Amino acid sequence: MSTVLQSLSTELADAVQSAGRAVVAIHARRRIPASGVHWRPGVIVATHHTISRDENITVTLPDGTTVPASLAGRDPSTDLAALKLVGQSFPTPSIRLDTPPKVGELVIALGRPGPSLTASWGVVSRVDGPWRTWQGAEIDSLLRLDLAIYDGFSGGPLIDGAGRVLGINTSALARGVPVTIPGATVERVVTELLERGTIRRAYLGIGTQRVRVPESLARKLELQGDVALLIVSLEPGGPADRDGLLLGDVLLEIEGAVVSDPADILAKLGGDRVGRPLTARVIRGGQMKTLQVTPGERPKSRAA
Amino acid sequence: MTAPMTARLARELAAAVDELRRMTVQVRTRGPAGAGVLWDSEGSNGSALVITNAHVLRGDQATIELNDGTVARAQVVARDAKRDLAALEFEPSRELLFVVVRDSPPLRLGEVVIAIGHPGGLVGAATLGIIHRVEQEREAGAPRWIRADVRLAPGFSGGPLADTTGRLVGVNTMMQGSLALAVPAAAVEAWVRRSHTPVAR
Repeated sequence: MSTVLQSLSTELADAVQSAGRAVVAIHARRRIPASGVHWRPGVIVATHHTISRDENITVTLPDGTTVPASLAGRDPSTDLAALKLVGQSFPTPSIRLDTPPKVGELVIALGRPGPSLTASWGVVSRVDGPWRTWQGAEIDSLLRLDLAIYDGFSGGPLIDGAGRVLGINTSALARGVPVTIPGATVERVVTELLERGTIRRAYLGIGTQRVRVPESLARKLELQGDVALLIVSLEPGGPADRDGLLLGDVLLEIEGAVVSDPADILAKLGGDRVGRPLTARVIRGGQMKTLQVTPGERPKSRAA
Repeated sequence: MTAPMTARLARELAAAVDELRRMTVQVRTRGPAGAGVLWDSEGSNGSALVITNAHVLRGDQATIELNDGTVARAQVVARDAKRDLAALEFEPSRELLFVVVRDSPPLRLGEVVIAIGHPGGLVGAATLGIIHRVEQEREAGAPRWIRADVRLAPGFSGGPLADTTGRLVGVNTMMQGSLALAVPAAAVEAWVRRSHTPVAR
């Protein structure tokens, strides 16, 4: 007699078995290997933070063989990396892009921190709209998980009850709290990494801090809000410095949108903004001033 | 809205847990109670066997409390600190329901498992999880541990880890982070056979 409980168990094991055929171990750091997913034929997706070297990377395939892999590119801001394999044919998983996961949906995290596959189960605990990582990258949707993290969690897939991949798990984007980078973001980043090796991001070369504009000044200048961004650091020769922004300027608006949080600036600095001027409104010496600033391409590992 | 599948799942789970509780005992010496499983010793002397963890026991005697509240004195007849297993013998006053070892099919990764124990004096608590890792054959001969993604607590030691059909998969022994480590049922069976040959009186 097959009961619902037994069917559930069998289906979960089937899902793990089917998706597990595309999960690999990545040897690119000391001690425990990390996980990766055979996302497209010949392309392995992994997490950036678990790859501590660019050379001498090897991958253990589901059949147990270990083969060399080359790093095609990495993006610290989304914590994703793409690796290439030559001459290996093994399955890619089915990726669920059409229906977003729901809060409470039963999910399984897979990993391969060595030759053996590992699994932990739980539920999606939170689903939300697009969000920005601390380095300013946009992730298409927020997926938080209620499940235990084990060795090999980062870089492994989150799968649904049918074995379809929902995204790539990482513990490095939300202070150790497990999150899943959704499939749509992975697709986008991997495509760009394979083309260019990095993710292009515009930058201004400024550091800012939230400040409250005195009420009298806000009234005088007819401001919409009273919180703005004080420029507290300016990269010498950087885009903002070159275009005339000064230390002490209080940034009010970029392209007509109020900026009251450093993340608001990042939101204006997608890869397509490189070399295209932005209009910035600042308070300088108690007066409103409008400037044109042309973002440059952000060097590796640099903030806004 | 009705959820017939979820309702059936809940009923079946409750029934499975109920049955497993009848095969699970409390093992008391000094200190907090551990768990144990009722083991069919195939003995002809009328005594019954309880398998538990060696670390649950202090001394050579223990008090066994069955799920129905029946209490019996039990004698330790075998103990293996290295494997963390112990066998106790007692005289049952009624028919017992023994655990059935799952010999086949082999465990699958992601399979649902149920653990029964007595955490913090909560008798017959159940927790649900999945098989976390199945050792591949080339890594070692027989696996040393069953690793399950099941949240255990002190008090689950010596109790059963069972599959969804109620068959014994392992004896819960340790927690490693949020992982449960259980001695594989086959290893328990082999150990019992080796270390405890019932003598006809």
